[in-house]
Amino acid sequence: MKAILMLLVMALPVVAHHSVQAEFDLDKPITISGKVTKVEWINPHSYLYMDVNDDKGNVKHWSFEMAGPGALRRAGLSRSDRGGLKAGDMITVNGILAKDGSDFGLVKNVKLPDGRVFTIWTDDPNAK
Amino acid sequence: MQASLLLLVLILAGQGATPRTSDGHPDLTGMWNGGPARGLVIAKDDPFGAYLAARDGTLLNFERDNTIIRRMDPNKPLYKPEFWEKVQKFDQDGNTADPSFGCMPGGVPRMGPPAKIVQTSKELLFFYVSPPAQGWGDQYRIIPTDGREHTPLDQLDGTWKGESIGHWEGDTMVIDTIGFNDISWLDINGYFHSENMHVIERIRRDGDTLTWQATVEDPDVLIKPWTMNPRTVRLNADPKATLEESLPCVERDSSHLVNKEHH
Repeated sequence: MKAILMLLVMALPVVAHHSVQAEFDLDKPITISGKVTKVEWINPHSYLYMDVNDDKGNVKHWSFEMAGPGALRRAGLSRSDRGGLKAGDMITVNGILAKDGSDFGLVKNVKLPDGRVFTIWTDDPNAK
Repeated sequence: MQASLLLLVLILAGQGATPRTSDGHPDLTGMWNGGPARGLVIAKDDPFGAYLAARDGTLLNFERDNTIIRRMDPNKPLYKPEFWEKVQKFDQDGNTADPSFGCMPGGVPRMGPPAKIVQTSKELLFFYVSPPAQGWGDQYRIIPTDGREHTPLDQLDGTWKGESIGHWEGDTMVIDTIGFNDISWLDINGYFHSENMHVIERIRRDGDTLTWQATVEDPDVLIKPWTMNPRTVRLNADPKATLEESLPCVERDSSHLVNKEHH
């Protein structure tokens, strides 16, 4: 828990960047399942791309912003060959939606096929 | 709070003796990533930080409170009146105007204290990784300490890191830097500078802590020199400690921003 807090905290005062609320709606949670198509380990935020089947049988291409690669490592997400996210994985993402209405969101946690859950951040910034 | 301040003072007083090189100077060599690079850390048990609870426990307030706290800092560079509008505009447009937002390097002095120092009798080697480098990418500086003079300013290309030369004043390493571009910022808040900026960094080792402080002289745009808040970093005692590679920076947020809020 502390590691998760620290990554959020480290991301705030240290790096000049936009606020979460400039891009995402904290009041619009989303839970979505699909197949990972690509994971980009880049700064300042890593990205997760997934194909999601909607209720009409169409495939929608979703993308999610994650934390920076260093923060993801500290949260326990590692290289794909060590059990981290990789293309082809069926995963469930909890997060919040982008404000611009695109198929885009910010990851709060990711549930992997084997049941592991990686939490990037939580709702309560004061929690320990 | 008082207890943590006392603890901070005790730690700043140094832990153990400061190692010295054969020529008698303090040895700055070491991995200086043993703790947070800045004071503002929300951890009750961290003597280097303050515990700042977000109002109502919401992430929204968490971000905004951090911004308010940062803006309450009375230590600001004093710009000449003709630049006030420019600073305010840069600040308001920080999400796009701040070079750090667009994956640019931090530059001196924004990159702050290094994560690793190698000291020889003739030069200092500084290594930085992002994000504590306040910019992006693995960065380095090679700083001669052999008594040489600066290259004349008009013969220097303006760069992010400039031309740095170091010398000892007692036990303090003083690094003098000129030859900057006018793209980098001193910090968030739209704090720009001119190509004629002159930066003086002072680095002092006390036991297992390193204190870094920079003074910015820029008579083209500032009314008087600005001495930035000092930063204290801790020695990483792990003999196998390494620096994480800074992965490439690619800005993918800009197209999704719907307002100008930023940290």
